[in-house]
Amino acid sequence: MSQSQQLLVVKDLATTFDTPLGPLPAVGGVSFDLNQNETLGIVGESGSGKTVLSRTIMGLQQRRNVTVTGSVLLNGFEVVGASEEEKRKIWGLEVAMIFQDPMTSLNPVMRIGKQIDEILRVRLGMDRKAAKARAIELLELVGIPSPQDRYSVFPGELSGGMRQRVVIATALAGSPKLLMADEPTTGLDVTIQAQILNLLEEIKARMEMSVILVTHDLGVVATRTSRVIVMYAGRIVEMGTTRDVFSHHRMPYTRALLEGSPKVSNPSHTRLKAIPGRPPNLLNLAQGCSFAPRCSFATDRCRQERPELESTGTPGHSFACWNPLPTTRGASA
Amino acid sequence: MLIGIVFVITVGAFYLIHLLPGDPAVVILGTGDSPANKAKLYAQLGLNKPIYQQYFVWINNIIHGRLGNSFISGDSVWNTIKGAIPIDLEMMVISQILAFATAIPLAMRSAKKPDGLLDRILSAGSFTLLSIPSFIAIVLLVLFVAIDLGVPHTGVSSYVSLGTDWIGNLESLSLPSIVLAVGSFVVYYRILRSDLIATLQEEYITMARSKGISQRRIMWRHALRPSSVALLGTAGVNIGGLLAGGFIVQFLLDIPGLGYLLISSIGLSDYLVVQAIVLVVAVGVILINFFFDFLINIVDPRISRE
Amino acid sequence: MFVQETIEEVALADRPERKKKLGVLFWICVVWLAINLIAAIFANFLPVENPLIQNYNAINSSPSWHHLFGTDDLGRDIFARVVYGSRVSIEAGLGAMVIGFGLGAPLGMLAAYRRGKFDSILTMFMYIFLAFPAIIATIAILSFWTPRSLLKIIVVIGVASIPLVYRVIRTATLNVATKDYVIAAKVQGATDRRIMIKELLPNVAPIGVSFLLIGIATVVVLEGSLAFLGLSVNPPTPSWGNMINEARTILQVNPWLAIFPSLAMCLFLLCLNFIGDRLRSHFDVSESKL
Repeated sequence: MSQSQQLLVVKDLATTFDTPLGPLPAVGGVSFDLNQNETLGIVGESGSGKTVLSRTIMGLQQRRNVTVTGSVLLNGFEVVGASEEEKRKIWGLEVAMIFQDPMTSLNPVMRIGKQIDEILRVRLGMDRKAAKARAIELLELVGIPSPQDRYSVFPGELSGGMRQRVVIATALAGSPKLLMADEPTTGLDVTIQAQILNLLEEIKARMEMSVILVTHDLGVVATRTSRVIVMYAGRIVEMGTTRDVFSHHRMPYTRALLEGSPKVSNPSHTRLKAIPGRPPNLLNLAQGCSFAPRCSFATDRCRQERPELESTGTPGHSFACWNPLPTTRGASA
Repeated sequence: MLIGIVFVITVGAFYLIHLLPGDPAVVILGTGDSPANKAKLYAQLGLNKPIYQQYFVWINNIIHGRLGNSFISGDSVWNTIKGAIPIDLEMMVISQILAFATAIPLAMRSAKKPDGLLDRILSAGSFTLLSIPSFIAIVLLVLFVAIDLGVPHTGVSSYVSLGTDWIGNLESLSLPSIVLAVGSFVVYYRILRSDLIATLQEEYITMARSKGISQRRIMWRHALRPSSVALLGTAGVNIGGLLAGGFIVQFLLDIPGLGYLLISSIGLSDYLVVQAIVLVVAVGVILINFFFDFLINIVDPRISRE
Repeated sequence: MFVQETIEEVALADRPERKKKLGVLFWICVVWLAINLIAAIFANFLPVENPLIQNYNAINSSPSWHHLFGTDDLGRDIFARVVYGSRVSIEAGLGAMVIGFGLGAPLGMLAAYRRGKFDSILTMFMYIFLAFPAIIATIAILSFWTPRSLLKIIVVIGVASIPLVYRVIRTATLNVATKDYVIAAKVQGATDRRIMIKELLPNVAPIGVSFLLIGIATVVVLEGSLAFLGLSVNPPTPSWGNMINEARTILQVNPWLAIFPSLAMCLFLLCLNFIGDRLRSHFDVSESKL
């Protein structure tokens, strides 16, 4: 695929926090691409660095104790090192983000209509009437009933699911090409989760958008994404098409993750296998593979040398492991 | 409820004044006058009736809009007071405009860069100012500044009314208004700054950022409103306090406002004037509180919903 | 899991958590206040002149070795008068607060905890008193309650502050009393008294202490204001407020009479406020709650 077709190119991205306890490498050396109209999933446990990654890609890190190295090319625009002013140009119009908790993502004292059409009035110069009309359209698009009436309500008057829809509408207002969704359904009821995810799919298709879905829920990833990145301790440990990663994974961590999540196909009362041990302390990363202490396949080499990503042979599918699981591709591969 | 409060206050004011020693007859006639004359005067003034009757007479008068005539000066109480009220109002308006106009932008700057140079200077400065009582400020200002600059500061009624000469008016009110403004500024700045800092950590601010909204707009349109609740509450209390307690500033600078009038009336045992002032002040404070409660509701509708 | 999340949280926090240490300045202020207190108590034993002695040979003199702060228009040593004058401020501040807190705080806590009729009636009374402009009442009462004495001032201000203390303590207790751990204690069968002492008090105390310090500062300022109206202690007893008031007429001749008591009062207030502020941030009390 040629460079010009790729919406997002991330190369050696690393985010380090300067904490009173020492430097914390929340994200260390991440590289991947994203194309138009793709849905990419980023999975990992809490603390894997996936949230930090998503915010770093957006360029939202503004704290003074953060160092970001590497490159993030969004439609040709280099995010790393750009000034806040420059980044503002792409925010909302090229890339938008939705956050986990709809309760806190919306300004509680501002009517939702105003929050949605703000970007239209301020950034795109639409007049009030036109902006309001478009906002109502968006409300309809995200499935809010009687959008004209709802235009003037406050976020507190809506339920959680509705609020998240409003958040999505707000993000979509600028017609961004990339939507970053950080755990968009985690705070919601299970039934609503499915609705919201369906909504995202619909919108993606309609608006020809790419979506990055950051989540710890493998169930979400399995059915909604075309490609997946598995993260552990701030690094990518496996990446490829969803099918490849789910059915032909090589990295033991991926296997452990999958085994730890409930599947409908399992017979009832199947015990979920929890991964032994605890996630690594990022302040004190040991040598070698970060997963080694908890890995049942770890070898001496694993403990001493950190594995780099290598390809499996199938294009687009790579993993980082010295002692990978045997390939499950049979003669059909 | 409101009426109940006002009612209680009128009762309180009335009884309080009458509990106090101090005899208007003595003031009018001078001590040592014959008891017979005193009794006559009492009857004239209606002071020989039992207290509760006097109270009802007074309330009745008030309801009919008659505040009565002062025992001492013979002047209508309303006349005496009515000149003072606009002065208080003017000082309040000027000082509060100054206070808010400086506190809001400065609090915003500080909240953007907490612990930055500006923030630290303002914190230390406002803290110091907080610890300087208004009378000390005035005395020291007079000592170091006014004497040299010739700003009118002492002398009988240096106040010039608005009708006469608006430049003189502003001049004569400048010092007291500034002193009041500084006192208010210090309080407003600290509260707004701390609330703004808290608000800026909220996720909806990050969300607004991610829409590409400018810092300025975020500050004024997104952050200010949720952070204003405590500020408005404090403003209500503060302004009410100014109304009731601004007397010291007025007294020192010879501004014939309500506070000044109150002090002199107490000194003269001029009951009716004192009562009337207490009533006006109390009602004023209540109105101010209601006004600010109303503002708070507009700014943050969550409060009423909860 | 927890360690990891905490670290991420710390890292993701906008600024590194401000260390809530009390700091050097805090202790300097404490020391200064202690010095004031000791000087006030032991003034008689300190190498300080008699503040009442008038020396007509040294009227309005500037500071010198003999008279550290100079003398006033009656030849009295300003330094001595400032030191003795601190008694008035300190006694007034502490005395009024003892009354205010002594009565207001227990009532507030009790009302908040017990609720019911007791609370409703008492609170209604208190709020009615609060609606009345207390300062005016204070002035009126003190104007007529002659002869002047510090005790009267303390009593009047103290009583006037009871409703305020009541309200603050009651609100604070209400916030705590509805918390789950208090209900849990109740269910476990703890007596009311035990709950009040062990659960409520420690949580209400920080707010109480903050308000106490503010209260003392307010009373000190109030004494000063009253002095300007001639309502503070009678001359020749020195008080900071009195002295500044006396200084007004002779400002150009003798600025020292204005400067030194002002300085003493401002420093005192500064230290009080600073300590209060530091304690507030140490115990995480939001200013708006006061």
